Amino acid sequence: MADYRVVGKGIPRKDSIEKITGQAKYTFDIVLPEMLHAKILRSLHAHAKIVNIDTSEAEKLPGVKAVITGKDTWGMRFGFVDTPRYPCEQPVIAEDKVRFIGESVAAIAAVDENTANEALDLIQIEYEPIPAVFDPEEAMKEGAPQIHGEQIPAPGRKCAWQDWGVARVARSYNPVNNIGATVNLSYGDSEKGFAEAEYIREDTWVVPRTSHAAMEPHGAVASYNPLTGYLDVWLSHMGYELKRYWISKTLGIPISKIRVHKTFIGGAFGGKAQVFDHEIIASFLSRKTGKPVKLILTRDEVFTSTNNSIALKINVKKGVKKDGTIVGQHVKLISDMGAYRGSVPVCLFLCHSMRDAIYNIPNLTHEGVGAYTNKSTTMAKRGHGSQQMTTAIESQMDWIAEDLGLDPVEFRLKNLRQKGDVLPNRDTLNSYGLPDCIKKIVEASNWKEKRGKLGPGRGIGLAVSAMFNGSGYWPFTAGSIVRMNHDGTVTLYMGQAEFGQGPTTTTCQLVAEELGLNVEDVNLVDGDSELCPLDYSNFLSGGMFVSCKAGLVAAQDLRQQILKVAAEMLEEDVEDLETMNRRVYIKTDPEEGVAFDEILRYSIQKHAGDLLMGKGFCKPVPEIEFYPSLSKGSGRWTDAYSFTASIAEVSVDAETGRTKVDHIWIGDDCGREINTAICEGQLQSQAVMGMGDALFEEVMFSEGRTINANFVDYEIPRAFDIPEITTIDASDPDPNGPFGAKEIGECARAAVIGSIVNAVYDATKVKITSLPLHPEKIFRGLEEKAKS
Amino acid sequence: MELAKKLIKVAVNGESRELWIKQNITLLDLLRDYLGLTGAKLACISNSCGACTVIVDDMAVKSCSVLAMQVDGKEVFTVEGLAKDNKLHPLQQAFIEHVAFQCGFCTPGKLMSAKALLDENPNPTEEELRRDMEGNLCRCTGYKKYIEAIMDVAQHPEKYSAKEG
Amino acid sequence: MREFEYLRVNTLKEACSLLSEYKEEAKILAGGQSLLTLLKMDMLRPSYLIDIKFIPELNYMDFDEKEGLKMGALTTHRAVEKSPLLKEKFPVLPETELVVASVQTRNWGTIGGTLVHADPIGDIAPTLIVLDSKAKFTSVNGERTISLTELFVDFFATVIEEDEILCEIQIPTLPAHTGVAYQKFSTIEAGIKIAGAASLISLEDGICKDAKIALSAVAPVPIRALKAEEMLRGKPVDDKLIEQAAQIASTEADPVTDMHATDEYRGELVKVLVRRATKTALERAKTT
Repeated sequence: MADYRVVGKGIPRKDSIEKITGQAKYTFDIVLPEMLHAKILRSLHAHAKIVNIDTSEAEKLPGVKAVITGKDTWGMRFGFVDTPRYPCEQPVIAEDKVRFIGESVAAIAAVDENTANEALDLIQIEYEPIPAVFDPEEAMKEGAPQIHGEQIPAPGRKCAWQDWGVARVARSYNPVNNIGATVNLSYGDSEKGFAEAEYIREDTWVVPRTSHAAMEPHGAVASYNPLTGYLDVWLSHMGYELKRYWISKTLGIPISKIRVHKTFIGGAFGGKAQVFDHEIIASFLSRKTGKPVKLILTRDEVFTSTNNSIALKINVKKGVKKDGTIVGQHVKLISDMGAYRGSVPVCLFLCHSMRDAIYNIPNLTHEGVGAYTNKSTTMAKRGHGSQQMTTAIESQMDWIAEDLGLDPVEFRLKNLRQKGDVLPNRDTLNSYGLPDCIKKIVEASNWKEKRGKLGPGRGIGLAVSAMFNGSGYWPFTAGSIVRMNHDGTVTLYMGQAEFGQGPTTTTCQLVAEELGLNVEDVNLVDGDSELCPLDYSNFLSGGMFVSCKAGLVAAQDLRQQILKVAAEMLEEDVEDLETMNRRVYIKTDPEEGVAFDEILRYSIQKHAGDLLMGKGFCKPVPEIEFYPSLSKGSGRWTDAYSFTASIAEVSVDAETGRTKVDHIWIGDDCGREINTAICEGQLQSQAVMGMGDALFEEVMFSEGRTINANFVDYEIPRAFDIPEITTIDASDPDPNGPFGAKEIGECARAAVIGSIVNAVYDATKVKITSLPLHPEKIFRGLEEKAKS
Repeated sequence: MELAKKLIKVAVNGESRELWIKQNITLLDLLRDYLGLTGAKLACISNSCGACTVIVDDMAVKSCSVLAMQVDGKEVFTVEGLAKDNKLHPLQQAFIEHVAFQCGFCTPGKLMSAKALLDENPNPTEEELRRDMEGNLCRCTGYKKYIEAIMDVAQHPEKYSAKEG
Repeated sequence: MREFEYLRVNTLKEACSLLSEYKEEAKILAGGQSLLTLLKMDMLRPSYLIDIKFIPELNYMDFDEKEGLKMGALTTHRAVEKSPLLKEKFPVLPETELVVASVQTRNWGTIGGTLVHADPIGDIAPTLIVLDSKAKFTSVNGERTISLTELFVDFFATVIEEDEILCEIQIPTLPAHTGVAYQKFSTIEAGIKIAGAASLISLEDGICKDAKIALSAVAPVPIRALKAEEMLRGKPVDDKLIEQAAQIASTEADPVTDMHATDEYRGELVKVLVRRATKTALERAKTT
């Protein structure tokens, strides 16, 4: 591994002082003059017609400035997916009917929160409940309540894909039998594969919804200036471009007049990527009242009315030779989609593509449906299909190994792809550190001495996962500027959203490394859509590989400009010069050189005012113009994959079924760790989050009502529960990554979950095929096993 | 009809304040809405997350669940009062050096809990510390670096004598 | 929160007087760790809050070898957790406090407040019950003292009259060779309790002179497992007897099925927790 000055070091974060002094401002903290407070009235019915809404009493309450219902936002539609095939179908405020408990039915802006809450109680709504359906398989049966009629795009309305350059007209979509999304793709011939197989195994897993549970609740502050037509917004988000697009689309405000201000964001994990009704509502209310409007969701609203992670029933059929060679696979998915599509159409496809870089499976069929149900929507959560699929596939890998008497590690290694492989969709594995990830943690954990030898109630398990690094999604670019300052420092402009994952710090490291600067000499302007260039967004795993890289490219551009001017000043060739500490010097005579500030002054004076600004941009997967077809999954998708292998060691108390995770080892290939401390933090985070997914996290419903919409009944890991965590860097630098770097924020969680599931099986030999593995489930499994 | 406000006297971060406040507000509301000290946050409404943790009379409390009227006559410390004379508190320094936080939303609460704990028990075991920090939820970090940073301050106080901010 | 009149009092007499005047229109505020959540959720709408938290005469811990412990109702959970006196005389109490909520809640919340709130999954109640604790109430009409077992009538409901204030908890001195233990089951360490059991064993000449077992989260109120106690009393206690007692205790529970567990599973847990708590209590009895 090359040794760099700044890259590869665990330096403190750039946002340290703001965050540890309490000065960091989140949307939650924004206060503006004359600001109103908004609250949303939410449906108490899972499926009902709205017969009548009477807001007159609410409007009369002193301090109420605006009351709106679906009548005011009639026809406005939004969604994460809005394609020619799948028109977006979610109303900003429910119109003629409600489709889930928690859906927005009215909103109030008032002088303070108490008044807004009081006014909500004064709104009279007459509902006519209609039969609801909560299970996706029930929903797909003949005679089930139809949640949506035909989804017909408004005349003349272009869908998002059309706005973004896909020359196909949006069609209407008829969700027959409540089916709102499908995927069907295949390579080779899986039936032929099964015919050749010497052993076939089929298992069905159920993975429920979980909550992202980011600490900062969702919310928005919107301030519309009626005199200029400008809308300023402060959002808790994952990338400002998508928000600007949708607010512009629904409210008819030109996108260039929508400014998303920089806020720190209190965690996201995928749950804040889409535009939300509450963001559009806050903006609408601000335009209506002419005053700033603040709309922050309470924690229960976050649970019930934003989104959960994607729930899937996964059937995996796998055919192998007796020696373990995989010859065929057929996956069938059913997703409990909720009342609106959310990101399910994308996830159904990603369930295949997140796994395809791992094992070489010559014959493969992947099909799935998303069925509408009367529950809240579902959205990407840190891996977006990877963790659900990894749970099902990696557990089955262990069971196949057990059935055939194969070593589980060798079985996996045997089937891995190789560096340089071209995948069926024509992605190339230019970097592939997975074998090394596996080998390193097998060694570090003493796997060989432990597997099968730990004694009763203890187990050890392994799983692997992969993650993409950005794909063709609007705005298809990330831009950055690095400019020279009077004193020889530089300022970096980058639009990325900072929600804890640290792109501001790592991009400064890239820039500092390129220009020979200390990180303190890289100033930062970030996260503001007016001050920063177009931004790719941070929910597509492209933060490092695409957006940070744009910063590096800008620094490279500036460096060339600096060297050219210095060369002129020093009368040397550019190749003979080097930069270090705000200075250019001659390689063969380091005492000779010129300072950056001198170079700037010279450039301005001698080159007609050229003030030295580096420009950089990066397109994810440059040669494709668009994301591959979601339903067919064909075509190039991403330029690099990250990989993780995880081993978990657990103790299961047989008397109660309670599982303790004793130790997690993670071997991760992220290309190159730009900031080792941040990378370690990402892996530790995913270890603990994965433990929650595996053992106790689940959003629970009763007749469509979320019954554990708080942190007492929905438990997330706390400080006492954390296991020993060992993180091992097994990176394989990617030629297209900035200094070889790839993503690290999303890949590991899936592998951790799979490894805990496999460890619990190793400890109990009880086959459980649903998450979470909470104590009662394990207890029952052990009880049944003891009886038989 | 709105009830009358009441007067309380409270020292906040070492400064005596006299404030006319509504009777039905929490200490968190007092800090954030009346004094503009937005370090303490609200991440739940079930008294579960600890993001609102501040120190009242040397005790870490969840300010969302303390009635503001109850701090009349008391001393309140928030994250904004940790750094003194432009010098960061050792815990703040340690959090920075260990890169202990990510999104930062839970960080002020964690700092105040940790400060109260170390002021009372300067030498906790790691198990004691992890148990005592249970009241502070975090979703980003997995807690490990926070615990390491706090233990580092406890075990190596000389590393973190007050430095320039 | 809705509006209310906040009234701070400095003496118990004042508090009783105000409570007698306002009755059901008023609520007593001590630490507020449970009360404030209810107010914020609009589940209670008192017109008056009588703040007793800072009444000095309600915050004390006095121990006498004959009289036992007398603890003011405003003693905080944290004070119980840290008390050297209690670590010496009733170590199970500081031990139990380690799993009660969080440090922040324990710093401000009071024993009295928790008992009156009567959450069926509370941790401190079963432990106090096996210690044979009593609760003393005061009102303008005088005082009365009851056994803690009689305090709870239903979930979140006690026998406290609307003009009474819980002012003291009394715990008799433990006889020699007495051990007490508490076992809590939750999915994660600081998580919501699914079942809990407290056990007290007193030995005399190797025979179990007294046994008390209290269960929580498996009935609307904390309950004594009287049949299980009976099984242990007067006998030499060994693993086999403890197992039998644990099985019996499980039949005395009346758990529900909710989002966290089925009634059957809770019943199974009672067996395990009673066994573990009783075994630990026995070991402690042997060494004290």
